[in-house]
Amino acid sequence: MASGYLTRWTLDTVGVLLALSVGTFALVLLARGDPAAMLAATRAGRPATPEQIEAVRVELGLDAPAPVRYLRWLADAVTGDFGLSLRTNTPIGPEIVERIGVTAGLVAGAAVIALVLGVGVGIAGAVLRRGLLRGALRVAALLATSVPAFWLSYLLVLLLALRLRLVPTSGMAGPATWVMPMLVLGLPAAGALSRVVAVTLREALDRPYVLAAQARGSSPLSIVVRDGLPNAAGPILSVAGFTIGTLLVGTVVVEQIFGWPGLGAYFVRAASARDIPALQAAALVLGGGFILANRLADGLQALIDPRLRRTSTIGPRPPRPRRTASFRTEPT
Amino acid sequence: MTAGGRWRGRSASRRTVLVALPLAGFALVGLLAPLLAPADPAATDLAASLSPPSAEHPLGTDQLGRDQLSRILYGARISLTVTAAVLAVSLTVGVLIGTVAGYLGGWVDRVVARVIDMAVSLPGMLVALAVIGVRGPGVQNLVIAMSLWAWAPYARIARARVAGLRDSPHLDALRLLGAGPGRIIGRHLLPPAVAPCLVYASTDVGAIVLGVATLSFLGLGIPPPQAEWGQMLIEGRPYLASAWWLAYPPGIAITVVVFASNLLGERLAIGDERPSILRWVLPTRPRFLRSRNVRPPVTSASASASASASASASASARAAERQPVGPRSAGPSAASAGTLLCVRDLSVAYPHVGGYRRVVADVRYEVRRGRILALVGETGSGKTSAALAPFGLLDPDAVVTGSALLGAGGEARQLVGAGPHERRLVNGRRVGVVFQDSLAALNPLRTIGAHVDEAVRNAGRGGRRDATRRVTEELLRLTGLPDPIGTARAYAHQLSGGMRQRVQIAIALAGEPELLVADEPTSALDVTVQAQLLDLLARLRDELGMAMIIISHDLAVVTRLADEVVVMYAGRTVEAGPVATVIRSPAHPYTRGLLDAVPHPSAVPGTRFRTMPGRSGAGPDDVGGCAFRPRCPIAIAPCADHPPELLTWAPDPGAPASELVAPVLRRVACFAQPAATTRAPGGVGERDGD
Repeated sequence: MASGYLTRWTLDTVGVLLALSVGTFALVLLARGDPAAMLAATRAGRPATPEQIEAVRVELGLDAPAPVRYLRWLADAVTGDFGLSLRTNTPIGPEIVERIGVTAGLVAGAAVIALVLGVGVGIAGAVLRRGLLRGALRVAALLATSVPAFWLSYLLVLLLALRLRLVPTSGMAGPATWVMPMLVLGLPAAGALSRVVAVTLREALDRPYVLAAQARGSSPLSIVVRDGLPNAAGPILSVAGFTIGTLLVGTVVVEQIFGWPGLGAYFVRAASARDIPALQAAALVLGGGFILANRLADGLQALIDPRLRRTSTIGPRPPRPRRTASFRTEPT
Repeated sequence: MTAGGRWRGRSASRRTVLVALPLAGFALVGLLAPLLAPADPAATDLAASLSPPSAEHPLGTDQLGRDQLSRILYGARISLTVTAAVLAVSLTVGVLIGTVAGYLGGWVDRVVARVIDMAVSLPGMLVALAVIGVRGPGVQNLVIAMSLWAWAPYARIARARVAGLRDSPHLDALRLLGAGPGRIIGRHLLPPAVAPCLVYASTDVGAIVLGVATLSFLGLGIPPPQAEWGQMLIEGRPYLASAWWLAYPPGIAITVVVFASNLLGERLAIGDERPSILRWVLPTRPRFLRSRNVRPPVTSASASASASASASASASARAAERQPVGPRSAGPSAASAGTLLCVRDLSVAYPHVGGYRRVVADVRYEVRRGRILALVGETGSGKTSAALAPFGLLDPDAVVTGSALLGAGGEARQLVGAGPHERRLVNGRRVGVVFQDSLAALNPLRTIGAHVDEAVRNAGRGGRRDATRRVTEELLRLTGLPDPIGTARAYAHQLSGGMRQRVQIAIALAGEPELLVADEPTSALDVTVQAQLLDLLARLRDELGMAMIIISHDLAVVTRLADEVVVMYAGRTVEAGPVATVIRSPAHPYTRGLLDAVPHPSAVPGTRFRTMPGRSGAGPDDVGGCAFRPRCPIAIAPCADHPPELLTWAPDPGAPASELVAPVLRRVACFAQPAATTRAPGGVGERDGD
């Protein structure tokens, strides 16, 4: 049973990653402008002649049919070879590797903020039945998910950097500069996570076994810890994985604002310059990380709840509150 | 629905409208921007650059001297344009794909479902950035990029809706009439599929506005010189510290739209059952009602509640006020020796649209030590609420009033209004409860042993882990489980219904309680298991000297086990007394009806049951007068007036003298019952207990 699930999980994950790669490769087909002409121009330092462009086209293998190009591109990408940047004429692979560390550190810090705050506030929201605090927490959580990250960063810069002078406005040089990027990235995720935790835990606490625990004289703390949280753990875990995935995507904005040399900033720069190979590389790595975070969380959820192992590993899972508008993606 | 219900319902939708108001404002401002804007958003005036808010420029000017207010208004216009376009494209594409896939079914549907799942699970920001990265910025590319991300949820919703309709007989009939697929999809499947998608779209606005702003902020959305909120923020960035009017207004505008959209999404997704923030912004009920067990639930839910109902409600409130938590001297009957639980004027109410709705009204009963009391009534009669309310085992929204004294004399403890700490001194120690649905009452993720161990520890009988487990095994053995050690390791879903019921009894017994409350203990079980469990309960009563409350709709269970019976109808007690006399000579027409509905072994084969006309399910305050009147064969004029009181009743002059001095009095609430005089031995003509 368990090994069968593992096989299916692996196959499904590989399938989704392949779909991502197809979509990423297909970006070339959507492109306006000729990548070969762009690279040739970069090399020549001025608009290239048709001969130069043709030479680059053959060098890049762009003369082959699309499926062949896809397979070549995928085979190279798997080994970390993403070709040459159209903008700088340098290999993309090493630069991606260099930047992964920056992004991973940022996401890790933000994930701690999101998980600690999100789960904590969520538990409070579920346990408090009514009252001002509960309402305030809920508004705060919804606000956190509604404030655009870039504007939140302005507010934090105005408050922490310019008014209180606690931290520098941008850069990546030591712990003081980590505070704002991690907060900007982590707070919205914490807000979204807390809503899910609150609703799922509330549902778990509304089940008859909680009344039964009260009837045998269990303490409220014991009921939350022994009966509520374990029964809410599956969906919470799944959303936590999703949250970490959205943090990866959020680096696109946050790194740009605070001048961090990570993958997100690289992605934006590639998009601005229409540097298609670089764009594909960044999309593949960020998207792959996003998908893996989700898949891992779902796999863990199935380990907790044996009932899920029988169903497909992709697709609708137990009911969950709808997405909030954070412009990332819908939690599936 | 009552008048109060309509009022509250309207008010709930009014609050939803209120939440949607910022979105409507956004749409209006976007549409009317050219009329509202005081200036041309593109007109530069370098002489007036970065000027603070003034009469001429209410929100100041930016670095190029452009009027900030006009740019905000035009920013709404461009956001609205893109949002409308994205919604139009993704709604059309999504609904069409979902409807066709759902209609066709088979492998097409499976493939489409897979694609939808993958598209939904892709991060929208990445998709949009990648598409714009290869296509370049601009309104058209923005719409393409965001629609590529936004269509999938609509396809999923439409597909689910259509898949549910596909096999309906209605469509089969249409096919038989010769309707082609095009007509079926267009006329009969698209409209129902579009409706939920439109609702979803109303909550999608925030996501799209946020996306447009984010992309524009990154320089990949709306290009300058067109004003867009995110783009205004990035342009204003160098002047962040000096010109607040550049830093705040666009951010506030985005936040308000997205917040309203998120709030609307939450409301539409979970309905109005959960308190929204607007409940405390716009309270619909007085503050003091918020905490439980504080005030009587005078039911504004029922406009038709008679004067006597509210009078008795306030009487119960007075009773509750008179009797603070703690010992008290009860009325003469309550003080009689051997009373373990004395319940008076117990009412239970739940929040209902517009106010409160009582499900239990002024119920009274006593449980004597070592005796079994049966609460009888049909589904919805309030018997479970009446039995569990004293122990705080109802939904936390329930408001309980009245009095419930556990113990007698100086040690009596008032249970109504008890705090969590006091409850834990009672529940699990002095009182054990067996719930109706044994599968739901056990935590699916914990073993049986963990449940019983916890009960043993809660009761203060645990010690070290293995000592606790020994008590657990002993308890499981006591309830007749053949393999206590194995059962302790099992999970609830691995046991049969009868075994789970025994487990619940073992948990209830962990604290060596004086009172066991069993809610329909045998209802879901087959007949032989029922009999075994009833024997077990009877044995436990005899061996442990426990009192019990058995809640049941099954008169066979009652006659077999109980000493006394309380018959409930529509949240009120209609008849009470010793089982033998109530069964032999039922006084209330409802009790009579219940007994007639039981198959009788001595009946001539082919005899029809006498069944009661009408339906059950009314609340105590839904009908002015006696709640049973619509079904009652002997109703008389006063029955329509106000609910009859529960009065002491002597069955007939020829009754054995022992019944008149019995410790448990017959009581009946019926105007039409001619013998319902008040010839009780103790107090003549009085409403006893008060």
